[in-house]
Amino acid sequence: MQRPNISVADPIPARAGVGLRFQHHQAVLEIRPDVAWMEVHTENYMGGGVPLRYLDAIRRDTPISLHGVGLSLGSAEGIDPAHLERIRKVAERVEPGLMSEHIAWNVVGRSYLADLLPLPMTEEALEVVCRHVDQTQSYLKRRILVENPSTYITFANSIIPEWEFMAAVAARTGCGILCDVNNICVSVHNHGWDASTYIAALPPEAVGEIHLAGHSVKSLADGSTLRIDDHGSRVSDEVWSLYRQAIARFGAVPTLIEWDNDVPPLQVLLDEALHADCLIRNSPKDSSHADAA
Amino acid sequence: MPTLLEMQKAMQESLLNRDNQAVYAMLAGHVSADRLDIYRNTFVHTLTKTLRLCFPVTERLVGEDFFEGAAQIFIEERPPRVAWLDLYGGEFPEFLSSFPPATSIAYLGDVAELEWAVNSALHAADIASLDVAALGAIEVEDQGQISFVPHPSIRLLRLDYPADVIWRAVSDADDDALGKINLGCGPRNLLVERLSAGVEVECLSEPAWCFLSRLCAGSSIEAALVDSSEFDCSAALAEHLALGRFVGFGSVPPSTAIEG
Repeated sequence: MQRPNISVADPIPARAGVGLRFQHHQAVLEIRPDVAWMEVHTENYMGGGVPLRYLDAIRRDTPISLHGVGLSLGSAEGIDPAHLERIRKVAERVEPGLMSEHIAWNVVGRSYLADLLPLPMTEEALEVVCRHVDQTQSYLKRRILVENPSTYITFANSIIPEWEFMAAVAARTGCGILCDVNNICVSVHNHGWDASTYIAALPPEAVGEIHLAGHSVKSLADGSTLRIDDHGSRVSDEVWSLYRQAIARFGAVPTLIEWDNDVPPLQVLLDEALHADCLIRNSPKDSSHADAA
Repeated sequence: MPTLLEMQKAMQESLLNRDNQAVYAMLAGHVSADRLDIYRNTFVHTLTKTLRLCFPVTERLVGEDFFEGAAQIFIEERPPRVAWLDLYGGEFPEFLSSFPPATSIAYLGDVAELEWAVNSALHAADIASLDVAALGAIEVEDQGQISFVPHPSIRLLRLDYPADVIWRAVSDADDDALGKINLGCGPRNLLVERLSAGVEVECLSEPAWCFLSRLCAGSSIEAALVDSSEFDCSAALAEHLALGRFVGFGSVPPSTAIEG
């Protein structure tokens, strides 16, 4: 199999990209859509066979970002060195322009809990996350981005506002921030926070990527509503408006359209990306700082 | 105040054993308990989807509701151990075989085992096949001592029921073929492998299956030979090599000499 011919130094451009899912592998190769970059879930390409062949072929002319869901940076018991090595192997093959993980956890007592679970915003959790980000960056020999979570619960012992926690991880480890604007929209609604405060607290020089996705709204027994981060619909008007605020502060950054449930035809994702590109071009702040780490 | 580890163990209790008590006591005061259900639903839904993608024929045999119910119990009893879901589901066939509500479908475990083998072959690592020319360097008198490393996609199964016939008929929704299946036709010796065109499932004769099984287990050619008038070991070996079923070879036991 041929090696991809884009050098590792090829950055992810400060434009819109789309999340590449298996359903669209064939369509992407046939249509060769005019999209600046794509992102995949690292865990989906740890084996061999057909998925990896598609990714190799797509990678030849599309920069790829690797987005992991399983490293569990917030695990009290430590991160799995075997998983870290699997990630390194995928990166060695794909030569991604960006690599990212989550401020979350999903491994405890030898179980993988298959979701991005919330952390208490404590000094202990901050230390654990920073230690694991350091470990990851030194093992991979490159900078990673960490994504702010979407959450439905908060803990009684949380003492650090989430936006300060994010900024502190970046400041202590030198990692970048993947600012998921949809997650901010979901969490601020669910916990009664203020989205503008959140965005204003993130250091612009650390923000290396933005995620956009759809969410749904669920009614709870007590009459309140909960926003669910299900990546199953178009980006909402509210999230687009928050996105405008975000790029006005952070400048033009690589922006991803994610869609994981009820995945629509590729064209729908491309339309969403086109809209994001329009907003990037018309953003008042034109300083670009695409992260090529 | 609970430590991070105490919280994570409490959350694990909530997800695996539906016991919200410990984690609920750790939540901020105004948070309602039904918010915890979102996490449990996502956890079960994600893993059920993983099993569903891996065992589509098994699901069609038992129906959607039964499959979901069985999957939920399996997920709670045996959650994934690592964050790489390609590896999740290997114990599901054995779980189904001893799952009391499924005992009336005697062949269910065999079909699931075949589906797991197909799935494993799909995801197996990409390793270049052995270049047959390399064997030319071995002296003829030493060739009997050659042993091989099988391609990681190869799975050899011996099943009591004709799971391959059922699997094909259900996959193709071929009711005619399904109606003609003889469950008592005796054990099936199956070879599952990923070839360039995709995953293949082949039913082998007893000697063919024994010969390939021995080779894949690392026996030398000489030790793997099957004494049968109806089976030509040389022709079979030539076919294995031509189809790229081996990725390495050695002339002493593979555990000490072969590099995969």
